[in-house]
Amino acid sequence: MERMAHVDHVIAPEALLETAVRVYDGGRHPLTAMFGRDETAQGTGYAIYCYFEIPEKKDMQVVKAVFNPEGFLSYQSITHAIPAAAWYEREIHDMFGLVPEGHPDLRPLVLHESFPEGFYPLRKSVKVNAKVRGERKFKVRSAKGQGLFEVPVGPIHAGIIEPGHFRFSQAGEAMLQLDAKLFFTHRGIEKAVEGKTPEEALHIVERICGACSVSNTWSFCQAVEKVAGVSVPRRAEIIRTLLSELERIVNHVGDLGNMPAGVGFNPAISLGSRLKERLMRLCEAVAGNRFLRGVIVPGGVRQDITPELIEEIHSLMDATAEGVEDLATMFREQENFQNRVQTTGIIRHQTAVDLAMVGVGARASGYAHDSRSDFAFGVYPELDFQPYTKTMGDVAARLLVRIGELSASFEMVDKLLEMLRNCQGMPLHADMAYGAGEAWGICESPRGSNFHYVALDETGRIDRLFVRSASYPNWPALTIAVQGDIIPDFPLINKSFELCYACIDR
Amino acid sequence: MGYILEGLGLNIVQALVLLAFAPLIAGIINKVKAFLQKRQGASVLQEYFDLRKWWKKPTILTPHTSVIFILAPVAYFVTSFLAASMVPGFLAGQVSISDAFVFVYILALGRFFMTLSSMDAATSFGGMGGSREIYISVLVEPAVMLAILINSLRYHSTTLSSMVIDYDGAYFTVSAALACVAFFLVILAENSRLPVDNPDTHLELTMIHEGMTLEYSGPLLTLIHLGSMLKIMVFLTLFGALYLPLAVPLAVKILFGAVLIGIVEILNNKMRLFKVRVYLGAAIVLLLLAIIAE
Repeated sequence: MERMAHVDHVIAPEALLETAVRVYDGGRHPLTAMFGRDETAQGTGYAIYCYFEIPEKKDMQVVKAVFNPEGFLSYQSITHAIPAAAWYEREIHDMFGLVPEGHPDLRPLVLHESFPEGFYPLRKSVKVNAKVRGERKFKVRSAKGQGLFEVPVGPIHAGIIEPGHFRFSQAGEAMLQLDAKLFFTHRGIEKAVEGKTPEEALHIVERICGACSVSNTWSFCQAVEKVAGVSVPRRAEIIRTLLSELERIVNHVGDLGNMPAGVGFNPAISLGSRLKERLMRLCEAVAGNRFLRGVIVPGGVRQDITPELIEEIHSLMDATAEGVEDLATMFREQENFQNRVQTTGIIRHQTAVDLAMVGVGARASGYAHDSRSDFAFGVYPELDFQPYTKTMGDVAARLLVRIGELSASFEMVDKLLEMLRNCQGMPLHADMAYGAGEAWGICESPRGSNFHYVALDETGRIDRLFVRSASYPNWPALTIAVQGDIIPDFPLINKSFELCYACIDR
Repeated sequence: MGYILEGLGLNIVQALVLLAFAPLIAGIINKVKAFLQKRQGASVLQEYFDLRKWWKKPTILTPHTSVIFILAPVAYFVTSFLAASMVPGFLAGQVSISDAFVFVYILALGRFFMTLSSMDAATSFGGMGGSREIYISVLVEPAVMLAILINSLRYHSTTLSSMVIDYDGAYFTVSAALACVAFFLVILAENSRLPVDNPDTHLELTMIHEGMTLEYSGPLLTLIHLGSMLKIMVFLTLFGALYLPLAVPLAVKILFGAVLIGIVEILNNKMRLFKVRVYLGAAIVLLLLAIIAE
């Protein structure tokens, strides 16, 4: 049975700009994702999908522009009207060769110098094991002027982190402009999973990122389950929600311990690492690994949470809540620390809306964007969840949002554990049977909303997977947040966003 | 002349003693910091092992560097060593060459060479480190001079060895207390410690002293690190001999100073770069008050 009903507008490329602007509604319906798909096998040609969030309906509106592969492969860029589209259009240009006319910055995004021009890897005509070598131009931006200089940082960094190149244009210590060249370790996961069954793809999707494996898996499973028309048993939904909150707690605590490293605030760093390590050991007890992998599968969950484990989680949550309280006190009472984090790295509310920012970054700028309240998934509708926001948009606000969300998460975990106690022995898994169709899934990862689009063919194998993790819309915001601050504050600003390289190098 | 040469032998002996114990003091500071973070921390002897490790590694030079790049670590180490021979330490009163002004500007000479070399490899991190180092030293230098001036006024001499605290006199004055606090603030800034600079960080963009040393490896790096450790030792010795009004042996005062550095580094985080001038301004004001009180 074909499930294609979820596309709201199928249009010609010429109408994309007008339709998109109408649905966007001046930013009230943010652009969640925009991606291409090669549907030549289905007889449609190339397609661009734009997903807009409709919070008041807890749903998405989908605009789909269809290109005739024999005709002109270009369209009017929507970036001027919807700034959040800038990266998506560049990526579609790299991957499918669809040209956004009038795009303000149509440099490559994903494919660096080592790829030849005219190579569009996500077209079906390109084999998954294609070997190419080439020369293309990829100029990093810099400001020119008397007394200005550039500071190149990376792609290899001093800490053990992932690769990314940052080019600062400096006037003394002040940062005038930052250009980030990312996607160094792009793995072609979206191509690699084509032709695989959802179960096979699951293991790859789960490993897109170490910090949000639950979120990536959950969004993926939601999409696959929608295609199959399967509803997940209640106990499995509770366990999924619990794992998602655990993942958030681990990451938020880790981030709170990591931010003071940007200013050499040693006692806070130690306390943060101590709390995080205990939580990761709890994750190991729950899932058998420290990253909560292998529990969520299409149709439900693979493992139950035993009554003993419920008590273990409960007691560690209490201890962690106390530790976080200590950490918060430490931050509050250290005047010198407050001096560093306040008014540093500001993102204004309008910037957050324009870039369709997600997660902590958005909520710290007064933009109450949270998938847990914007959509209905898991058991969040029963948990009476409200997004936690701050309005300053600086490093301090992002710190406070994390602390505020942690206490909300501790409360939710308590309720979830109570729900689990009340539904012992209920089924964990529904049987899956796949047919052709396409669907999306969304959940709130520790860094913000995590969106997956899955299209299956008649044999139930993946025809297209698109992953938009939370770091994707927030990376461009970092380059805006640093403007006007001084370069020794960059590590602190960077840590306050805690953006992920692997999530975009999917 | 003969007298001076005779004294010179003692100077060198003293510098060697300070040099031998400098890595231990650095190790003790690290141990204190680890302890206060509830970590076990590395052995207090770790700095000796590190020095040996760096010494054995090859030196890698970029083709862009000039002879300055090799000269600078040597100059930095030698100036620290000379400074160590001049402080009124365990051989107080007997060291011959110990003029306060010579002392201050010998250290400035070492810093001059380090900032030169920071620009030599033409990397942006080195240049940033060098420019920040100069910005801080411009503020540190008057503070050190004022601190010395206080003692000159009291003892009517600019010879360091004649400024050593005499406990039979009425030493515990307002002036002495102010100078003691101010000089400790200066030690932290001069030796790239928190809250001015973070000696433990790997974040190049925030570095000051470490930024200048990023391009160094092998024996040249060893010389820089040893020079820095010796410099802390020299300043702690000076702090103990001239400013810390406690009637205990100098070695105990040095240990006390090291523990104090460890504690202060744990209690503080790094301040905004442009706030350093407020911090050093405070030290200078304290010293001015001390002079007035004197």
